[in-house]
This record gives sequence, C-alpha cells and structure tokens, in this order.
Amino acid sequence: MRVSADRERCVGSGQCELLAPDVFEVDDDGAVRVLVPEPGEEERDAVRDAVAQCPTGALAVSG
Amino acid sequence: MSVEVPVPVPVDLDEVDLSDRDWWVRPPAERHAAFDRLRRERPFAFFAEPEIPGIPTGPGYRAVTRYADLEAISSQPALFCSGKGAVSMQDIPAELHEFYGSLISMDDPRHAKIRRIVSKTFTPRMLERTLDSVRAVVDDVLAAARRTAEAGDGTIDVVADIAAPIPLRVICDMMGIPEEDRPGVLNRSNIILSGGDPELIEDGDPLTAFLTAGMEMAALMERLAAERLEQPREDLTTALVTTEVDGEKLSHQEIASFFILLLVAGNETTRNALSQGLLALAEHPDQRARWAADPGLDRTAVEEVVRWVSPVTWMRRTATRDGELNGHRFSAGDKFLLFYAAANRDPEAFRDPQVFDVGRDPNPHVGFGSKGPHFCLGAHLARRELAVAFRAMFDQLPDLEVTGPPDRLRSSFVNGLKRLPARLTGVR
Repeated sequence: MRVSADRERCVGSGQCELLAPDVFEVDDDGAVRVLVPEPGEEERDAVRDAVAQCPTGALAVSG
Repeated sequence: MSVEVPVPVPVDLDEVDLSDRDWWVRPPAERHAAFDRLRRERPFAFFAEPEIPGIPTGPGYRAVTRYADLEAISSQPALFCSGKGAVSMQDIPAELHEFYGSLISMDDPRHAKIRRIVSKTFTPRMLERTLDSVRAVVDDVLAAARRTAEAGDGTIDVVADIAAPIPLRVICDMMGIPEEDRPGVLNRSNIILSGGDPELIEDGDPLTAFLTAGMEMAALMERLAAERLEQPREDLTTALVTTEVDGEKLSHQEIASFFILLLVAGNETTRNALSQGLLALAEHPDQRARWAADPGLDRTAVEEVVRWVSPVTWMRRTATRDGELNGHRFSAGDKFLLFYAAANRDPEAFRDPQVFDVGRDPNPHVGFGSKGPHFCLGAHLARRELAVAFRAMFDQLPDLEVTGPPDRLRSSFVNGLKRLPARLTGVR
C-alpha cells in the first residue's frame, strides 16, 4: 500500500491525523505530511478510513 | 421538566417557513417532523428570504435536507461556492462582508492559504498539549457553578454557569485575550450570532447592532495586534498578525474578520452542544447512566451529541453555473441552504436517526460540516472540550438535574439556548 497527498487541496483539517496518527501529520505549514508513505498491514484500515474521510479528497492510496 | 422527546408530530408543510425566526423557537420535535417531510416530499424546497431592514431581499433559496444532496453540494466547492456568502441567506453587503465574511465566506485557493495559518494549532496532535489546560478550565468552571448553587437556592443556569464559560475561556486562552476583555467578547459574540433576537439586541436595529459589535471586536483586535507585533507570543493572534501568505501579511480587514470568526465560532457552537447535550441526557436518563458509567463511550457519545444538537443549523452555497443535481435543475446564482440538522436525521444515512444513542457507531454526521474545504476548523477542539466537560460533569456534578424547559434562541442559523434552568440536588 502506497499513500500520497495533494498538499494544494489539503486545508489541514487533521481528520487523517486523528484516524491514523502514525501515518499522517499536519505540519507547520498547516498541510498534511505523509510520515509513512508505505504503511504496514496493521495500518491498512485506518489509512483507508482517513482517505475516505478526508474532507477535501487530498489523500490517495494505491496497492 | 417539560420533556422534548422527538416523536412524530403532524405538520402542515405549507405552514413551514424556514426563513421565519419564530419557527425556530418551536419545539425540536416539530422542527424534525418538518425536516422529515421536506426530505421525503420536497427535497429542494423553495423559500423566500426574510426581510431585514437595511439589506435588499434576494431571490430566495432551496432548502437541502437530504444527506446525499448536502454531501454532493458541499463536496463540489467549484460548482457551489461560499464566496457569495455562507452565513446569511442574503447576499452580504460590502460593509458586512468586511467583518463577517472571513474564511467561511471565501473560496480556494485564498481560503486554503489563509486557513493553513492556523490549521496546525487545531490538529489532534497540537491539541493534545492543551488538554491539561482544558481540564483545568472545566474543573474551575464546574467548581464555580457549585459555589453559585450553594450561595443561592441550589439552582444554576446551565448556559451561563457551565456551557458559556468553558468554551469562552478555552478560545480566549488560545487567542491570548486578556481577562478583562472577555465579558465584552462574550457579549459581542452573542450579538453577532443573535439572529436579531430582541433580548440580545437591546436597542436600535439589528443591522446596526451587528456592525457595532463587529467594529468593537475589530478594535480589540487592533489593540492586541499592535501588542503582538511588538512582543510576539505563542498564541493565535500572534500567528494572524505575523504569518505571510504568498509573501504578504494578511490585510487589516482579513485579520479582523478571522479574529472575529475564531472567537465567535469557538464560543457559540461548543456552548450549544454542551447545553443541549445536557438537555438530551436529561431527556434520555438511560443514555446518561450508560455514558456516565463508561468512559470508553466518550468518543462515540460526543459525536452523537454533535449529531443530535447540530449546533450550526445551516451554511449556504451558491451555484456558479447552470447544472443538475440528483434530478434538480438549477441555474447560476441559485442559493442552497445546507440544513445539517436535517441531514443528521436522514434515515438513508443513519439507522434509527430519531434515537439518541451514545454508542452510535458508525456515525457519519455532518455536525462539523460535510465533505469539502470548509469542514469545521475547530472540530478537534470541540470534541476535546465536550469529552472533558461531560466526563467532568458526571464526576463533579452527578447531582445536576435539569429542572425547566430551555429558553431557545430565535435564530435559524444557530441552534442555541439562552437559558437552561437546573439545580444541584446535593445542595440544601
């Protein structure tokens, strides 16, 4: 599983940080930073939740 | 007390006028019965705009009450914009836009750039650090409420003694508002979101009162901004006056309206979730007992309170071009009011939507807004304040008993209580 983020679309709502705090962080610029671009199996559900719930559709997963 | 249990009540749709502020002080059961029928029978019902002295009356709006329609509009900000005004049915006259426009009535890319100045402060990670101070505020407020009850006849007003001071102190701490300015902030915040409720607009016309309150808040901001430029601090006000967007500092007007937005939004919404959450628990003693006994329910219970109360009843979007949505044809310039309170009881999205269930999971409510860039900036802060406050109330005010019917704010926009009488039964 590979995670990517579109920082232009992101408004830093932090929903992803709430749902998968080990994978996502809102950084000092107020936009998302992917901490772990290829998260392990144990993060799969949380990451999918975060992608689905991102208010601006700024996150994507492949694989 | 008079219990407001949401049971189906007969409602004549032709008598329902969502623009009539008096309609909004009627019992929530009636409101939700009307929403149920609007969702089923008139999903894009048309309403005329209310007449407000001093503001031209526009062409009217469509009331969006179905969850799916609301989400479709909210998630297409290029097609349904906020920049024509998101918090008023009328198009905002320039002089009002200056003070009340801010982020909420702005579109990307400017919206995103300005929002990111403060978004970091409101993330779960950053708020973890403020948790202890939220706890301290809550403990302090609840102790003061008990002292008030003990000094008198055991009664308190949930709104004035608990629900208003908690979010006021939290947001003022974050913004760095001096103690002596806080009563003024509360008062002006009330006026700005009064919906023209005559009790809150003491004299003169509502428009003048709005403008005066906005200008007074802006004057406070100017004073603090000058102080922060001289001596920066670790607060939001400092961030607003020092951060650059596209190589430029925010304009004076942008800072003022952002400052007002943070204070007003930080105050009013959580206050009404607190007071009406307590009311819901009084009306559902089984749910109160269940939540009080199990801190593991804090997460789902807080979300259910937000769904149930829907502190912000609606936001507006305006079509930027002609189109069609779920069978409804619309034209550029058409206004849509997104009724979160209605979508949050849509049976297509929630099982048993009229049941207050503190363990509800999943709970995809739109109490913080739906998909789109305007999702509530303060959602994580509100969740924390509510979780801490309800847990502390169970522990420290277990004898709190709601005694009277609530006094509702005459506003379509904010689902607010002005008063909620209660007593502490342990006080003799």
